[in-house]
Amino acid sequence: MTTNSASTPTIRQRIRALFSRIWEPYRSVPLLGWLIAALVAVGLEQLVGLPLARGLGLTKIPALFGAVVILSKPALTPSALLFTTLIYILPIGIVARFTAPLTNRIAAKLAEYPLVVTALVHLVLLYAVLHIWCDITDYRLLVARLAMISIILTLSLNVVNGYMGEFSCSHPGFMSIGAYVASAFTIVLFVSENRFGEALLPPALGPYMFPLALMLGGLISAFGALLVAIPSFRTRGDYLAIISLAFMFIVKSFFENMEVVGGARGISNQPDYATLPIVFLWTILSIWIINNFVRSTMGKALNAVRDGELAANAMTVDTRKTKMTAFLFAAFWAGVAGGLFAHVLRYINPDSFGIRKLAEVLAMVYFGGLNSVTGSVVGAVGLSLISEALRPLDIFKWIIIPIMLILIMIYRPTGLIAFTEFNVEKIFLPKGRAPEGAEHASA
Amino acid sequence: MSRKLFALLIFASLMLGACGGAATPTIRIGINAPLTGDIPKVGEGTKFSAEMWLEENGGTITVGGTEYPVELVIEDNESKGESAAAVNTKLITQDEVHVIVGPQSSKQAVPAGGVANDQKTPMISPWSTNPNTTLDRPWVFRTPFLDPFQGPVVANFVTDEFGFTKAGVLYDVASDYPKGLAEFFKSGWEDIHGPDSVVAFESFTTGDADFSAQLTNIMNAGAEFIFTPQYYNEVALIVQQAHELGFEGPIVGSDSWGSAETVELCGEDCYGLFFSTHYAAEGATGATKAFIDKYNENYGYVPDDVGALTWDALNIVKQAIQDCGEITGDLEADRLCIRDAMANIEEFPGITGNMTFTEEGDPIKCAVIVRISEEGLFTFYKQVCP
Repeated sequence: MTTNSASTPTIRQRIRALFSRIWEPYRSVPLLGWLIAALVAVGLEQLVGLPLARGLGLTKIPALFGAVVILSKPALTPSALLFTTLIYILPIGIVARFTAPLTNRIAAKLAEYPLVVTALVHLVLLYAVLHIWCDITDYRLLVARLAMISIILTLSLNVVNGYMGEFSCSHPGFMSIGAYVASAFTIVLFVSENRFGEALLPPALGPYMFPLALMLGGLISAFGALLVAIPSFRTRGDYLAIISLAFMFIVKSFFENMEVVGGARGISNQPDYATLPIVFLWTILSIWIINNFVRSTMGKALNAVRDGELAANAMTVDTRKTKMTAFLFAAFWAGVAGGLFAHVLRYINPDSFGIRKLAEVLAMVYFGGLNSVTGSVVGAVGLSLISEALRPLDIFKWIIIPIMLILIMIYRPTGLIAFTEFNVEKIFLPKGRAPEGAEHASA
Repeated sequence: MSRKLFALLIFASLMLGACGGAATPTIRIGINAPLTGDIPKVGEGTKFSAEMWLEENGGTITVGGTEYPVELVIEDNESKGESAAAVNTKLITQDEVHVIVGPQSSKQAVPAGGVANDQKTPMISPWSTNPNTTLDRPWVFRTPFLDPFQGPVVANFVTDEFGFTKAGVLYDVASDYPKGLAEFFKSGWEDIHGPDSVVAFESFTTGDADFSAQLTNIMNAGAEFIFTPQYYNEVALIVQQAHELGFEGPIVGSDSWGSAETVELCGEDCYGLFFSTHYAAEGATGATKAFIDKYNENYGYVPDDVGALTWDALNIVKQAIQDCGEITGDLEADRLCIRDAMANIEEFPGITGNMTFTEEGDPIKCAVIVRISEEGLFTFYKQVCP
């Protein structure tokens, strides 16, 4: 490293230089390489994680990369850090680096096939990583499923709040419609001795009909969205926010007063259909469809509406139709997320879909980044995991998370990864352009 | 599966090699409490009670002559259903607790109870009154009496005490506890006095602060008293507004009144009123008095029913562990043993009354009618047993 010899580099520059030197070889690691490395790490954990954890003085494998252990028993910090290093950081670092030539070649080969094949290979690998990771403890399983549901919810809200540039507050309402419809559907049809009477169909059929239940929930949510959209889309900005907020409370009150679905007591005993593969599939499906939607002509029209409705109208964009479609589309996915949520938790009550849920989803959207699919995924997963990891701090958690959000709003006002396009084809490509390496080191 | 077995084998050999003789296993009790969120006061009461209990027992439980160290794992469920389920899963799979005390309110206890039941870990909720918490769940218990019992208790008490025949009810339709109890009271009252004896059945929504419309309706319908199963902040408003409107009859409440805040907010308006609850702080004797005094000394206020019920839940857990006879260190066997012992507990002498569990895991216990005295204290008035 021969940097400007005249003035000695500041610490910050030196750290940056060191970091980029470590990072250098990893620039050429394709996504495939990372996935294989992660697979090796979780496999390693599955095989030797427990003895290693015990050897380090931990009672169990740390569930969330040691964060919970560090916060609740600070004395075990070195053990937890060592465990995470030995099981995750080192194996992933080594495998990703040294298989890079191989994985690049495979990725290049895969690129010759249709996109579907490439995507499937990556998805299967991703699922395998997730499955083995969750196999260690049920706690991870629950956290992972809830985080994935948050992804769907955040993404769908991003369509309205990010791509369309409006401020909608009715998402918990759509979610609760989806949750209630899907719950009623599965309980009426497949649960015996339920509040509505005997099961109408054999329970064995249940898992196959579950997608139908979710879609029905989504569709009815979308219908609900239509009811908000018709009066409120004549207004913009604050007015839509207020109308949608009112809608959320109307839905909540509606379910509180509906004795058929348990009123304020809620409804329980949903069958256990929302397993990890099912939630994973729906999450991938939602990312895929929403990503296609926002990159389509309709998505571009949506951005045009955001930047200037009058201008968009003048440029022959049917603004009303565009806004309606996007809003209903977002509500559909919120409904699906609600249906999954109800079947993961297997209990819902109107109170779960109130102002606190709204705050949670909004935080995820603005934390991750407006107008960005990657941002939504990062925001949802990030906040879910942070919130779970900081649980031992009790009340201080609610000081740390807001401070984090404030800092993000100051330094990156639109969120972590905002206004980017998620190009599926590009992320699967091999990364072999090594020669620019030297440039980066001094940059 | 074979991978797990493999890992287990490695672990077993490692343990045998490294540790040699196993130490006495620690008894771990998980506390799933709403330390943050809507009802932090409830979480605080739970936490204080649990910490006091641990201190009282010197951090150990003696089972069959052996002294086992006890560890409390207190986790925050943010007063959210999904968090309560996550906390239970964490307590069961990560912290490997033997038994869980909590969560308190039903919206967390119902999903959390499902987790505990699926994972075969005994759980006892000190406060939840929703039937679904324990329904068809052999591993889940609770310490409060249920609303189907409390409703008729109040109905009977008012009938015997005042001889009234026309009731007015004012409740929060958006909150599951007041709503359920209002309905059970209505059916209990109508069983005694016949249909239409509840002359006014008025509701409002959480957060409302002006009840004059509903109260006027109740007065115009000719109700002789008002039953309002609300929380302390609403009780104060309802009682004061009723008096301002010129309502002369008594206003009767339920166990949700049993917070120190009720009198503080309501003042003289509430003096002389009655409510049904789990225990009366003023004039208590024996173990109940000892608990209240100690709590007051440690934390500076008289504990409300959450604190007392948590205390009882923990003592039931202790009793079950002792009845179990032996803690082997084999988690699954110990959990089963504790569950069975808990189900078989009879006439447990709690500070909130004697308890025996039904098959559903609900206690059969007496209710207490409390009168708010002229000094604003909760004095014992009457005991009503099933």
